[in-house]
Amino acid sequence: MPLLAPLALLGLLFVPLIVAFYMLRLRRTERPVSSTYLWAQLVRDVEANAPWQRLRRSLLLLLQLLLVLALVLVATRPFGERAAGLARDVILVLDASASMAATDVFPDRLTAAKRAALDALADLPADGHVSVVAAAGSARVVANEVTDRSRLTEAIESVEVSTGSADLTDGLKLAGALAARARGAEILVVTDDSAAEAPDVELGVPVRVLTVGRDRHNQAIVALAVRADSSGIKRSVFASVANLDSERVTRRLQVLADGVPITARDLALDALRRTEVVIDEVPAGTRVVEARLSIPETPGTTVAGSVDQLSLDDAAWAIVPSDRLQRVLLVGPGNVYLQNALSLLPNIELYGATPDEYPTTTGRELFDLIVFDGYLPPELPAKPILAIAPPRTSGLGAVSGKVEGPVPGEPASDEPLLRNVDLSRLHVAEAVLIELPAWARPVIPGPESPLLYSGLRDGLPTAVLAFDLRQSDLPLQVAWPILAANLAGELLGIDPEGVEPVTPGAPVDLAAPPGATALRVTRPDGSVVELPVSGAAGSVTFVGTELLGVYTADAVIPVSASPDPSASGSISPTPDPSATAPAEVETGPIRFAVDLFDPAESNIAPGNGERLVALGREAPDDAATSGVARDEWWVPLALLALALLMVEWLVYERDGARRLWAGIREVTTTGRFRRLTSSGRGR
Amino acid sequence: MQSRRPPSTDRVVFGVNEPQAAAPSARPDLLPSSVDPTVFDEAFLRQLEQLMLMTRKQVRGGLRGVRRSVKRGQSVEFADYRDYSLGDDLRSLDWNVYARLEKLFIKLFVEEEDVTVHILVDASASMATGAPDKLHFARRAAAALAYVGLASYDRVVISILQGRVARRLPAARGTNQIFRVLADLSAVRAGEGPSDLAAATRHYAAQLTQRGPLLLISDLFDPAAEKVIAELAGTRCEVSVLHTLSPDELDPPLEGELRLVDSESSVGVDVTADLATLDVYKARLAAWQATLETAAVKRRVAYLPVSSELPLAELVFAELRRRGVVA
Repeated sequence: MPLLAPLALLGLLFVPLIVAFYMLRLRRTERPVSSTYLWAQLVRDVEANAPWQRLRRSLLLLLQLLLVLALVLVATRPFGERAAGLARDVILVLDASASMAATDVFPDRLTAAKRAALDALADLPADGHVSVVAAAGSARVVANEVTDRSRLTEAIESVEVSTGSADLTDGLKLAGALAARARGAEILVVTDDSAAEAPDVELGVPVRVLTVGRDRHNQAIVALAVRADSSGIKRSVFASVANLDSERVTRRLQVLADGVPITARDLALDALRRTEVVIDEVPAGTRVVEARLSIPETPGTTVAGSVDQLSLDDAAWAIVPSDRLQRVLLVGPGNVYLQNALSLLPNIELYGATPDEYPTTTGRELFDLIVFDGYLPPELPAKPILAIAPPRTSGLGAVSGKVEGPVPGEPASDEPLLRNVDLSRLHVAEAVLIELPAWARPVIPGPESPLLYSGLRDGLPTAVLAFDLRQSDLPLQVAWPILAANLAGELLGIDPEGVEPVTPGAPVDLAAPPGATALRVTRPDGSVVELPVSGAAGSVTFVGTELLGVYTADAVIPVSASPDPSASGSISPTPDPSATAPAEVETGPIRFAVDLFDPAESNIAPGNGERLVALGREAPDDAATSGVARDEWWVPLALLALALLMVEWLVYERDGARRLWAGIREVTTTGRFRRLTSSGRGR
Repeated sequence: MQSRRPPSTDRVVFGVNEPQAAAPSARPDLLPSSVDPTVFDEAFLRQLEQLMLMTRKQVRGGLRGVRRSVKRGQSVEFADYRDYSLGDDLRSLDWNVYARLEKLFIKLFVEEEDVTVHILVDASASMATGAPDKLHFARRAAAALAYVGLASYDRVVISILQGRVARRLPAARGTNQIFRVLADLSAVRAGEGPSDLAAATRHYAAQLTQRGPLLLISDLFDPAAEKVIAELAGTRCEVSVLHTLSPDELDPPLEGELRLVDSESSVGVDVTADLATLDVYKARLAAWQATLETAAVKRRVAYLPVSSELPLAELVFAELRRRGVVA
């Protein structure tokens, strides 16, 4: 029997020590008695004076020696060897996507995956090392070339299920990179293989797949949005519920407005189909709409498909755009296209002024957006600005001339300002040649300078359209009112079509109000993250969107930086502490919702992993599996030692145990006797 | 008829019949200083006076007493007739028979004599152990039985068994002798060293001349305990054995690794006192007592196992009465 710590055999020196102690312990207490006549006849353990004869009869000594032997064996760490089933270098890819939270295996797929991984890693060679990659929305290395089993177990147990979706591509790429460092490495993937498409990656090492998961009983809310009608007054909730199970089920959709239930509907969901639901009863002033999917509880009846094995996608949230009336000042010679597009937007009150009237216009600080059409004032107001064909160089950009017939470039596909905007047939006759400032991003690129760019100028949303509308056919296209609405939404901080949900784990750009020093983001679980606003960027990026639910961001604005004149300039007869010690004030919160709207992830039907195996090389390297795995036997030995300890204690305290047992029997017998007596009296 | 009440007891305040009352302040003024004041109180004495040690057989006594003797003599109980012979007391003639038969007959009456009550107290070293002390119990029991005998006008002989001999105390007769008996019993101390109860019993049996009730108070811790019973039965007395054991001998409060040292021989015995050992001890004790009882019954000896914590009144009025030793 090979031993990992043979020096621990020195512990056997305790054996003679115990024997010596035991012999010393046999010094008996002398007790005078009237006569030993009766005792002499029944003495059973000691008449002989030889100590070895005494020791031979002691059960306690035997148990104590066995206990020492067992403990010494535990300390020597004996082990058995067998052929290893894994390579020396193993990269474990643990799928931690949302579908791994399914409860079709107890307690959930991720826990079962961890168990399966630990069981599989028992075949690791004695000198093998393991790297652990957790594949969720993004892949991360949890442990790198760990050899210690306890650290490895700790690393695997630390992986938590993500609310995001994962197709294992990133995880396998990362695992491939890690495997490339060592010769003869092997990738072990533990997943439910429920992704719709196989990862697009090629691996030069063998891939072994352990699959978890059994069923596909799941229904999900795959879309939830609040939309306003053309008047902007009436709002409707659009929900899409998908039944990803292979049988028809009935589910109850409950909709809550700011936490108050407004409606609940029982939906009969066909197998593998989506059902759209529209709810018009959204109360005015609602800020957050929540939808919950549950199994209807009808007493006495059996609901079809009473199992929903993934709860993450049974709730969704949507942010209702603000109802506040926004004031927009249009400064220019007059543009009917622009006026119509802006005036048709909901919750917008449009005011107009000519360039001559602008300097004398009062109450300019009351406007939420100022649109300069072919005009720029000498000093730009500290307000969100939409400048159209700026005539001169200003803080909005350096104008260097004009360009004839610029051809619009290919915009970024994920540009939010161009959502639902088709510019393929846009023609521009003349545009201002304006240099893209550092604070802006190009929205519609042009040949020499962008035709439309947007960004945060000193924390103020600003967009510049480089061409006059009348110098293009844009106002005549369907895209114009949509672009106008998108521009108004970004510059006013509202979205006429509602606030789009954020994918779990995706970063969110939060626009900080002017003067804000930080944003306090409250997560759905109540935890608060404070993000400082750096310099003139005017926005912060929040990345902690792992939790599903509604996030609230409050701007922190020091009083000294507030534009409030009472705090900044007025002379007060009494010192105002808020003016000297800059207290912090907060403005209205920014809300956004993180939802798992991913039908592919909600589809928890497990795969068999063959397509993942096919990604790797088939034949394992001979050198990879030539190691031996060790099975340490200390656990049964430790249990044996514990059992011996208990038996030794019982033998030592056998009198007490027997008295206790006799007492219990007496109490139970007396209690029964009393019961019988009392019942007899009752009769 | 002579009063059976001791003349001095009405002026004596005896201690109560409990060992804890043995405080020096409880000693009565007229009680001899050598007398243990805790033996019994006056009420107890009154009750003892109503008792008598039973004898199943009529024995020949010495002096006149209250027990029927095998001899014919003067009493109120008619026994028989015999022919008149010259010299007979004419007061014994039955004149009614003479009137009817014209023959002279002498009326014979049962003679009433005393008997000798033998009380043997084992005073070996083993009797001085136990709580309560077995020797203390034995002295008190002997005193009570002696008083019963004295109150019955019997001759009471108390002997102390120590070593291999029986030491006889002076015989007493009449209740006025009770204080001397008490003084003698109070002076009894446990012996030291090994004892041979069988030899001492044999020694007593050899010097016994007058039969009567014989009571042995002993713990019988002797390998030849059955022989002791046999020796006493051989005296043809009506033998009663009060087998006295202390509570810690009946249920030893022992625990752990012990060396038990014999109080007489100082020989040690190593035991591991646990519940199993104590159970075996109790079983062995019961078997030993059963053996002794069997031996006693076989020889028509009254065997009475008692605990040294048994109250004296209960011993006399319950146990001894139940076994027919006193009535």
